[in-house]
Amino acid sequence: MPQPRVVLKNCDVIDPKRIDSYLENGGFKALAKARREMTPEQITGEIKDSGLRGRGGAGFPCGIKWEGARTASGDAKYVICNADEGEVGTFKDRYILEKDPFTLIEGILIAGHAIGAKQGYIYLRVEYHYLLDHLQNALNQVKQKGYLNGFSLEIREGAGAYICGEESALMDSIEGKRGEARYRPPFPTTSGLWGKPTIINNVETLMNIPPIIMNGADWFSQMGTERSKGTKVFSVSGDVDKPGVYEMVLGSPLRELVEELAMAKNIKLVQIGGATGRILPGDKLDTPLAFEAMLGAGAVTVYDQSRDVIDIIHRTMEFLVEESCGKCTPCRQGTEVMVEVLAKFHRSEGSLRELRNLEALSSAMMLSSLCGLGQAAPNAVMDSLQYFRDEYEKRVAK
Amino acid sequence: MAGKGVITPPRDRADLVERLKETQRRYGHVPEEAIAELAESLAIPVHEVYGVASFYSFLSLKPLGRNVIRVCKSLPCYLKSAEVIMKAVEKELGIVPGETTADGRFSFELINCIGLCDHAPAMLINHDAHVDLTPQKIKQILKSYE
Amino acid sequence: MEKKIKLTINGKEVSARPDMTILEVAKENGIDIPTLCYIPDLSPIGACRLCVVEVEGSRTLVGSCHTPVAEGMVIQTHSPKVIATRRVLVELMLASHPDACLVCDKANICELRRIAADLEVGLPRFRARKHYYPVEDEHPRMVRDMSKCVQCWRCVIACKGESGTPLFGTAYRGFDSKVIYGFDQPLGSQACDDCDACVEICPSGAIRKVRKAGEERANKALFIKG
Repeated sequence: MPQPRVVLKNCDVIDPKRIDSYLENGGFKALAKARREMTPEQITGEIKDSGLRGRGGAGFPCGIKWEGARTASGDAKYVICNADEGEVGTFKDRYILEKDPFTLIEGILIAGHAIGAKQGYIYLRVEYHYLLDHLQNALNQVKQKGYLNGFSLEIREGAGAYICGEESALMDSIEGKRGEARYRPPFPTTSGLWGKPTIINNVETLMNIPPIIMNGADWFSQMGTERSKGTKVFSVSGDVDKPGVYEMVLGSPLRELVEELAMAKNIKLVQIGGATGRILPGDKLDTPLAFEAMLGAGAVTVYDQSRDVIDIIHRTMEFLVEESCGKCTPCRQGTEVMVEVLAKFHRSEGSLRELRNLEALSSAMMLSSLCGLGQAAPNAVMDSLQYFRDEYEKRVAK
Repeated sequence: MAGKGVITPPRDRADLVERLKETQRRYGHVPEEAIAELAESLAIPVHEVYGVASFYSFLSLKPLGRNVIRVCKSLPCYLKSAEVIMKAVEKELGIVPGETTADGRFSFELINCIGLCDHAPAMLINHDAHVDLTPQKIKQILKSYE
Repeated sequence: MEKKIKLTINGKEVSARPDMTILEVAKENGIDIPTLCYIPDLSPIGACRLCVVEVEGSRTLVGSCHTPVAEGMVIQTHSPKVIATRRVLVELMLASHPDACLVCDKANICELRRIAADLEVGLPRFRARKHYYPVEDEHPRMVRDMSKCVQCWRCVIACKGESGTPLFGTAYRGFDSKVIYGFDQPLGSQACDDCDACVEICPSGAIRKVRKAGEERANKALFIKG
């Protein structure tokens, strides 16, 4: 079945260097409609009705977030576009920024109108520095054509920290600080950037806004499942013949993505959502790609039968220990302990006692960590213990 | 460092990360003098500036070479034999990750996922992306950096 | 008068002002929740996570020192899940803590040890790397031994420093995070001549006051530290 293109509809269609090309393809009609025909309340209502959920990993309902910021009181409000995709195996936002920066900017401007913000930031990861001029060029053209309409949109660049993709750390980074997780409440919608009401949306989430405004919530919510509306863009990498970016209707089976589109064979396991994501064994490929099952930010890394599970999990945890901000005990200490235990299993020096301890540790990290990183850090360990326990047991010291 | 006043004065506290990056670009690292200068112009303690400078992986407190090679070590690149690329860089430059060549031309680092997994193995040199790497390509690529 | 709200803690209905945190309400009602990074009257840090409690309807546990109460909240401060989590947290702190209690000046007045004892934590199940930092003993009144720091950051927020400039900050990232002075340099003899607030509040042996050898032993038969 051919998959509809909602988020990627302009990719390889328009010339991302020329705004005229975007305008010829219906660009900025949604913004015009939002500004001329819709009140902020109608816009947030439309987004709520569409069922759009955040595409950055957490899946929070976008309309509810916007509604929170719209009704919050504050002399200033901010829109932040999170272009700091750092999750292992994620590159969809890079693709989108390269191919269609205009729809993103249009989405940000609609968001600004909806919540009553006069200022916005695009927080770009420094690893994508080569996209900065490209993005600035698009922004300049939008400005020249007068679409900003008093809204100030600025690109802020990170300096190398995965944790800054986490919304509270991201705001600290924009404020020029160390990117450390903040406790919540207060939530950004009431007290975010510089203590003002703020919405932070992933690139892909914002890409969905102009089409929803143009075509309506009903059109959007016809696609997908009960609790996962619309499409999702996946970044597929690893042991596949055709790595790349694929857009699918939510609820599509994982098998279609990895076997039919990306041409994977002999799959041992699939890691969905990167280092903090989940793991599925090769016999569970009929799992639907939806928030009801597992999704994350849509990173899909495929491992074939030649791969060693312990090696994969150990490397996953090495990533997390390096990227933990270090503020809270469970994440800072827990990821370090996990790396050491996994290293022992990797050397076939593990013990059954340590497996039990690993489970107790995972539970405490999930329950008590300050932010999503620490809470999700044990996912890969727990899933691999569920599906590949024998591989751990084989590595117990004789 | 050329002396006081060479770093663009930050407009406000939010400017700090950007000014530290500018310092890094100019001097190849963030020297203590620059930290002191930024702290003074923002009227914040030096430990606060030091804390920010030491947090981000693209900022370095130690001098780096003129060009910084960052080979991705995360899983998607690892699956596509990133370790062969690391070995090729090591062989070409005679240094291991974490080191700088004696002539100061290159520093060699390993980096976490840079989002080029569809073209693994990949690396950044300074801010340039190099993708679909093979050991053969490494020699050619390194040649173009003075 | 401000309106009071009602909530349930450990099965008992209590009332509270809406601007209170769970921890404050618990304390007011005689419930003891362990804390480490928390300092009354200063803004919460939320780093140590020891004060986590169970709140009905919440996916994770929540930090009681920074979470405001809400009408109808149902809270468990000592459920098996909470206790098991707190024990792991203490074990994680101990995992990279030097095994030096026998000779540590804070030994018998150490908050970390007291909390570990309260939670009946024995030898930690986990091992992690230890940090080896040189002892900073040039200052006339305080000694800093960052190898013993549990990263509660109390000293960071409590210190107002001379002329309003705080003495300490946080640096590096993740497991390498460290509370630093200046350019991550040893606390020199001139570093501070102020209030000793950091010495008073450090919950481990990381910051302690200087004691001259034998000073407190004059005319005493046996002296046990602490």
